[in-house]
Amino acid sequence: MNAAGIAIDVRNVSKRYGTETKGVLALDHVSLSVPKGSVFGLLGPNGAGKTTLIKVLTGISDLTSGNATVAGFDVRRESMKVRARIGWVAAEVILDDDFTARENLWLQAKLQSLKDWEPRAELLLQYFSLADRADDKVSSYSTGMRKKLEIALALLHQPEVIFMDEPTIGLDVSTRRMLWDIVTGVHREFGVTVLLTTHYIEEADALCGRIAIIDHGRVIAEGTPSELKARVKGDVIALETVEPIDVGAVGSIPGVEEVRPQGNEWMIRVASAETVLPLLLASVRTENVRRVSVEKPSLETVFLDLTGRRIGQEEPMRDIRQFYAQMRRARA
Amino acid sequence: MRSQFYGLYLREILRTFRNPFVLLVTIVQPFMWLAFFGSSFANAPPSVIQAFAEGNNYLAFLLPGTLSTSMLSVGMFGSMSAIQDKRFGFMKRILITPTSKGVVFLTKALGSATRGLIQFPIMIVAATIFGVSFHLTALEWAAWVAALFFLAIGFSSLFFAITASSTDWQTPGVVSNFITMPLMFASTALFGGQYFPAWMKAISAVNPITFSALLGRAFVLETPVPWINLGYLAAFAGVLLAIGWVVSARYLKVD
Repeated sequence: MNAAGIAIDVRNVSKRYGTETKGVLALDHVSLSVPKGSVFGLLGPNGAGKTTLIKVLTGISDLTSGNATVAGFDVRRESMKVRARIGWVAAEVILDDDFTARENLWLQAKLQSLKDWEPRAELLLQYFSLADRADDKVSSYSTGMRKKLEIALALLHQPEVIFMDEPTIGLDVSTRRMLWDIVTGVHREFGVTVLLTTHYIEEADALCGRIAIIDHGRVIAEGTPSELKARVKGDVIALETVEPIDVGAVGSIPGVEEVRPQGNEWMIRVASAETVLPLLLASVRTENVRRVSVEKPSLETVFLDLTGRRIGQEEPMRDIRQFYAQMRRARA
Repeated sequence: MRSQFYGLYLREILRTFRNPFVLLVTIVQPFMWLAFFGSSFANAPPSVIQAFAEGNNYLAFLLPGTLSTSMLSVGMFGSMSAIQDKRFGFMKRILITPTSKGVVFLTKALGSATRGLIQFPIMIVAATIFGVSFHLTALEWAAWVAALFFLAIGFSSLFFAITASSTDWQTPGVVSNFITMPLMFASTALFGGQYFPAWMKAISAVNPITFSALLGRAFVLETPVPWINLGYLAAFAGVLLAIGWVVSARYLKVD
């Protein structure tokens, strides 16, 4: 891919908060390139460094080392040029609540030094079905409306790239669906490159043409959703048992590739769950089995495969029953 | 830069008029000074008033001082509004556009100075009701307003510079305690300085509040006008604006 086709180019970017010895390395030599016109997802658990990368790319935070360009301009040396070419949608909706939708658009137009912005603002208000309420204070808006207005603000100056930080965090299911449609629609109608962060597997899968999986400040995999899923060979059987299983015996079942403990479950990677499952259940005593589930290759299993954790699981999960048992003992 | 300046400055002004509490506190606070503090000397022996207030009308003496000290709280409210923008993330929304941090600072300083000047006509009317009469020329009115404007710009810049990297609601209040008390009392805003100890006289002699109070007082009491004070206040505003600009470009942080 040539440089002309790249909207965001990140090379070896590190970001450290605090000092060398006591600080936190939020980004650790991150490299990625986002093709123009794509919807690119940064997928990772909370605290992985996704938001930090957005802060660095939008010029809110300075990077510690490395280089990054957005829309062809260096984020450090040509920050003003970058900021004239990007839109930003915050995880928490940020609007001036004392202002109406139209006034918020007016202020955004002033901040972007736009002339003749009104027709486009009207178009955006129509597109997002906000025209009827455009002169109401945004403090009276529903969460969905506020989110839509925020995206309209981000699109007002016809940016080349839009950054969306956890666009659906904290939204109910129907608003989330609506937002997915909006992101897809905005990408199609306005031809803008979208970089979004998410820790929702299904969101990344539904929206993104390419995904970078990010964990502990490092990009650990990158590709299209199908490329990433193809990395995981076979299925995963998740087995929750009362007593530990005989790893050796399970491992010798034909078709079993790997057995490893994961919290209070056993993750058994197999060539095909359909053929292995009967043999597996025969080898462990049925009364020992609490729960069994089969996972076909998904971004979830990709993440699990790469990190040994589930995406929403920061620390190995404690068995909640064990926890309550401990509590009872402590009280007795 | 002009476009961003216009947008953000107008935002400050519009928000002032849409927030009844900001407006209320802006108007009520100096009024309270006049009503309560000013009236506390209402029945004092004339000799006491004469000694402290260089005349027989303490309210006429106090008004220019009160207006001057109000510009201190104007500065504090300005930095509180900047911190509110940081806390609610709006500062990020501003800075993820081609808007320089200097412009953000300028519009905050100018916005709070403008808010401060809203007090002026209200106070003049209130003082008239309390029995003060004014005999100023147009030039003198303009000079008085300019002096207060310079004072407000200076203090707004000072507060903004000190709290540039803070996101804590409490900071402006803490800073205010360290600035407001010393500058308010070590000035001739409330009393003449003739009975001050030497060290307070020293502070008062360079205190911009003193310069502004003396200038306004000369207009109200119709004594010789120390025009040089206006130059001093302009310099005070200019220097602090420059400091505020440099500090905000470097230290204004939202992350």
